[in-house]
Amino acid sequence: MSLLLQSLVLGVLLGGLYALLAAGLTLYFGVMRVVMIAHSAFLILAAYLAWFFTRTTGLDPMISLLLTVPLFFGIGVVMQRLLISRLRPATLTMMSVLLTFSIALTIEGLLGFAFTGTQRRIRLPYGGANFEILGANVAVVKLIAFLLAAVSLGALFLLLKKTQFGQALRATIQHPEAARLVGINTDRVAGYGFGLGLATAAIGGTALALDSTIYPSLHWHWIGPLMAIIVVGGLGSIPGAAIAAMVLGLGQSLLQIPLGTTWAQTFFYIALFATLMLRPQGFFGGRLAQRF
Amino acid sequence: MRSASKALGLLAAVAFVVAFPRMAPDAFILSVGVVIMSYAVLATSWNFVGGFTGYISLGHAAYSGLGAYATGLLVIETGMNPWLAMLAGGLLVAAFAVPVGIASLRVRGASFVIVSIALVLILLLVFQSWGSFTGGSNGLRVPRPFGTDVLRPEQHERFFYLHAVLLAVALLTWWLIDRSRFGTGLKAIREDEDKAQSLGVPTFQYKLVAFVVSAFFTALGGGMYALWFGFLDPIFQFSILVGSYMVLMSLLGGIRSLFGPVLGAVIVGYAVEYFKAQYGDTQFHLVAMGLLLALVVLFMPDGIIPAASSLLNRFRPQAASIREVTAAELAEQRRSAADAEEREPVTEGARR
Repeated sequence: MSLLLQSLVLGVLLGGLYALLAAGLTLYFGVMRVVMIAHSAFLILAAYLAWFFTRTTGLDPMISLLLTVPLFFGIGVVMQRLLISRLRPATLTMMSVLLTFSIALTIEGLLGFAFTGTQRRIRLPYGGANFEILGANVAVVKLIAFLLAAVSLGALFLLLKKTQFGQALRATIQHPEAARLVGINTDRVAGYGFGLGLATAAIGGTALALDSTIYPSLHWHWIGPLMAIIVVGGLGSIPGAAIAAMVLGLGQSLLQIPLGTTWAQTFFYIALFATLMLRPQGFFGGRLAQRF
Repeated sequence: MRSASKALGLLAAVAFVVAFPRMAPDAFILSVGVVIMSYAVLATSWNFVGGFTGYISLGHAAYSGLGAYATGLLVIETGMNPWLAMLAGGLLVAAFAVPVGIASLRVRGASFVIVSIALVLILLLVFQSWGSFTGGSNGLRVPRPFGTDVLRPEQHERFFYLHAVLLAVALLTWWLIDRSRFGTGLKAIREDEDKAQSLGVPTFQYKLVAFVVSAFFTALGGGMYALWFGFLDPIFQFSILVGSYMVLMSLLGGIRSLFGPVLGAVIVGYAVEYFKAQYGDTQFHLVAMGLLLALVVLFMPDGIIPAASSLLNRFRPQAASIREVTAAELAEQRRSAADAEEREPVTEGARR
């Protein structure tokens, strides 16, 4: 019983991080119809930056967010303006995949070059601390990572729902031409949307660095599950992505009990294939997802 | 005149391929030749789906890896003739590709790419964990088809020619599809899927057939590689990098032309081998690969062959009044025309 509860708690904590990262992927897809393969590479890059920050300054890795979030936002805007928007609209989806894939390879290569392929881990004073709720053992760092993800996701939600910029962004996602007609500068909004998406990778990366071992090729372990999540949730739907992330994260965590960690990973891919067979537009996607 | 020069070029290429093993100074160069030939087979096989339909698969390593493992396991488990095993492996993989194609081709591009990547990752997981059957992370030793009395250089030479034959079959199939009604339908899908569908092209079935044919040839390429190399490791067989090599080669050479992927394979394959020999196994080849792919996507998405032939065409007299224009170029022309119209009155007004 306590094992089940333990897995449930861990599943929720993992699902929170997945939800934040999948929201970022959904933003890119929404504003530009881009499948951003490099998302998880930036995630690992942020984790390395947090590790490097802590190693050189000795401060808490979360302080590195003050640097990485604006940096990644800027990189996102520049990337959209200089690279993605150069591609021909007719072949945008396919070519952007290749472009972001090449960015992912470059980041992986540079990380390996700068920090070598050795596995790295941040040593935190509270790294080993944990506490019990209802018989389930929860590591403090996992809870911090979850809170970080949950707060950012909440902030993103408020930004999208309550501010004028959020309205413009959602309009751009729903119907770019109509958005242009009512006077929204969709190019600029798309750039900021990209920046926001990359900022989620910065936060997620720091959260990841808190409690796991990182190495340059780790991003391949993240991109598969994240891709599965956004397809299951319906491409372009942020609530869909968040719900799918929670469900799949929980599922993975629960399946680890009977199957072990490696085989539990396949759950994401089975969910992906099942979704495409039964409901290709995803479970929460609307008109937008149907055509991609 | 043009067809004569084309035939001459083809003849020269064939003569070069036939003569290459005799010209190669040592066994190492010869083995590089085999690797490049293998890349050429894989890239050409990839181009059945990438070139005709415009659907870019980053995960064709899944089919080459499956073909390699199917061949190896069939030889080991049933002891059948290695060449029959290779063919059976290809057919098995083609059958496997049918449900995958149905799942990934029902919706447009984005899901296709996601499934193609996911497939490689899932297969890597399965083949690493299922140690009792596949050998797991320790790898799988595939028995060689020729006896031990055949020495290494001799092996390389035979496999070089065998790969060349497979490449010729793949190229011939591509050429035949290219000239058929089926090929025209596929190219219509590439240019504008909605229009193709409304003109009565059974888009889903066409895409599926092209996809399965592509998986079949890719699996044969993988199987032949397995027989030559004699050792399979899941990390290298189911690697995203191998799949992206196929994409880079085809894109660099030109996905719309028959020999584009072959040309790309020669350039990229040579560069990769040179890099490995010079700098060893550093992470730097990832950076080089990433930057090269980005440059091709940004500045030369149509590849070398179209770029070169358009350069040549400048020096030729105008051939005909009917030009081939892609949907993307048309849209671009229309947009720039519309922009120009839009801008004009505004500046006029501002002046007034």
